[in-house]
Amino acid sequence: MLLVFLGLKALLRNPYRSILTSLGIVIGVLSVIVLVSIGLGAKALVLQSIQNLGPNLLVVIPGSVTDSGAQVGGGTDTTLTVEDAQAIREDCPDVWNASGALRTAAQVQSPHANWSTVILGAEPNYLPVRDWHLAHGGFFGPEEEDSAARVAVLGRLVASRLFGLGNPVGNFIQINHSPFRVIGLLSSKGQSPMGMNQDDMVVIPLSTLQSQIMGVTYVGVILAAAGSPERVDDAKREIRDLLRLRHHIPPGGRPDFDIQALSDIAKTANRLSLILTVLLALIASISLFVGGIGILNIMLVSVRERTREIGIRMAIGARPRDILLQFLTESAALSFFGGLAGGLLGILSILAIRSFLGWPAPIPWEGSLLTVVGATFLGILFGLYPAWRASRLDPMEALRYE
Amino acid sequence: MQEDDRPGLSVRLDSVTKIYVVSGEELPAIRGITLSIDRGEALAVVGSSGSGKSTLLHLSGLLDRPTTGAVFYGDRRVDHLPASDRAVLRNRSVGFVFQNFQLIPRTTAIENVEMPLLYRGVSSRERRERARDLLASVGMGDRERHYSSQLSGGQQQRVAIARALAASPGLLLADEPTGNLDSRSASSVLELLLSIQERSRMTLVLVTHDTEVARFATRTVRVRDGLLEGS
Repeated sequence: MLLVFLGLKALLRNPYRSILTSLGIVIGVLSVIVLVSIGLGAKALVLQSIQNLGPNLLVVIPGSVTDSGAQVGGGTDTTLTVEDAQAIREDCPDVWNASGALRTAAQVQSPHANWSTVILGAEPNYLPVRDWHLAHGGFFGPEEEDSAARVAVLGRLVASRLFGLGNPVGNFIQINHSPFRVIGLLSSKGQSPMGMNQDDMVVIPLSTLQSQIMGVTYVGVILAAAGSPERVDDAKREIRDLLRLRHHIPPGGRPDFDIQALSDIAKTANRLSLILTVLLALIASISLFVGGIGILNIMLVSVRERTREIGIRMAIGARPRDILLQFLTESAALSFFGGLAGGLLGILSILAIRSFLGWPAPIPWEGSLLTVVGATFLGILFGLYPAWRASRLDPMEALRYE
Repeated sequence: MQEDDRPGLSVRLDSVTKIYVVSGEELPAIRGITLSIDRGEALAVVGSSGSGKSTLLHLSGLLDRPTTGAVFYGDRRVDHLPASDRAVLRNRSVGFVFQNFQLIPRTTAIENVEMPLLYRGVSSRERRERARDLLASVGMGDRERHYSSQLSGGQQQRVAIARALAASPGLLLADEPTGNLDSRSASSVLELLLSIQERSRMTLVLVTHDTEVARFATRTVRVRDGLLEGS
């Protein structure tokens, strides 16, 4: 304990050098903590946007799949129909609800403005499948779907572009010069994991889009919601079996559709952001390592510079291990206090990133603790060699050292 | 200075040699010396510079090990002990006073005096008390908190003497203790050393090239070319 105190005292005798030496560790720990936090923030963002889409959601897209699982020209085939969607809805016990959907781009006009956006044709049960809600008005039902009615539900962004901040319900818009009555306003949903703004969209009955705007009979995608997150895998298998039957795919044959579970995408995204986080932490660890080398360097200089002091201490009875411990304490203290300062600065930086950049960066408490402990360990490791050299000095030669 | 009733240490050098090897060349510093230093004796070792007298002192104080021969403290052979054991012996039995004082830089007088006790594991209060007494006894009681750089040569040597006495050693080794001092501080430091020796009855070995200084000793030996003269 006394010798530990001795080591600390030596550091205080040279405060500027001590601060500069531990700066490397400070920056190393700081960058590890901040980068890990940013990585975790990215992960949270991705998961949050996937959660937005609905964790139970299965997406059936047309197109063939190669042996390796890579999709060729996915989403462009025209093999899926409303009947497929209906069959899925009715014949798959683990599917709670399903809706076919088709999209196109179009110009939308109000009396005051026009806006180029996405027109989504959907079945009446699209909203519950997507776990989406209305802010105002209503959604179209089977009647409008069957009669291919010209009604529209606006996304938040489209509504504000066309009608400002007021309630657009009851107004008319024109899509490709045909008038549509606005019957509802969607609540804000934000970005999809693919980076698309889901509020920049107009939803109309699927039949209306197929017959009056696009002149087609297929659907672009079928969205199916499993009864619960645990039933996603069963639902996926049921849909696959059903569609293989309906599309006359022989056993072993390549299906003309693909089913993606959002939970799978979430897993992949999760794994990717974990890799990103580890990568960032590794890069930051390099600076921590360089900080450790800085300690090694300064301790070697310090041992050389204080050779005579070491000689004196040995002459008056310091054992080799007393000298070893003294210098080891110095490097451990440099890295520990440097690590502590880096940890505090790191947490402050994360708070700053959160409030100024709005990035959802969590404070990695356990990671921070681990980093500070690791930095201290690193300091001891790099201090070992200089301390060992100090302890092995010959007292007589050390005393004569100029 | 408080009385120490521990008897002084007797030291015996048994046909020791010390050969330094400098870039492949052998430089004999001690060529074969046998010397008994009785307990409580004040021995002066004189000789010109380079005669090997300082090396003799370092061998006696276990700072260095002889190339051949043996060193005994009392009846115990000590030169072949491992570094750690020799450090403990230096701490408990030997006090050093060097020509260039060898105080630890950027450290106060009292911290220097406390240091041998620190390595002995003495509690901080006891250390402080003992160091205070010692500094007072060498006339430095009013400069406890001064750093070595703020002290004159004579004052530094007094602090160094207090430090050498801190562990109540049986053997006090002084290597040209007045060599870096003007004549006035030199004689007062010398008087201090001798009065301490007289009172505490510890063994004192005083290495000097100054035969005037040597006159104060109870016995004088002369070293020349690594050998004792006339013995």
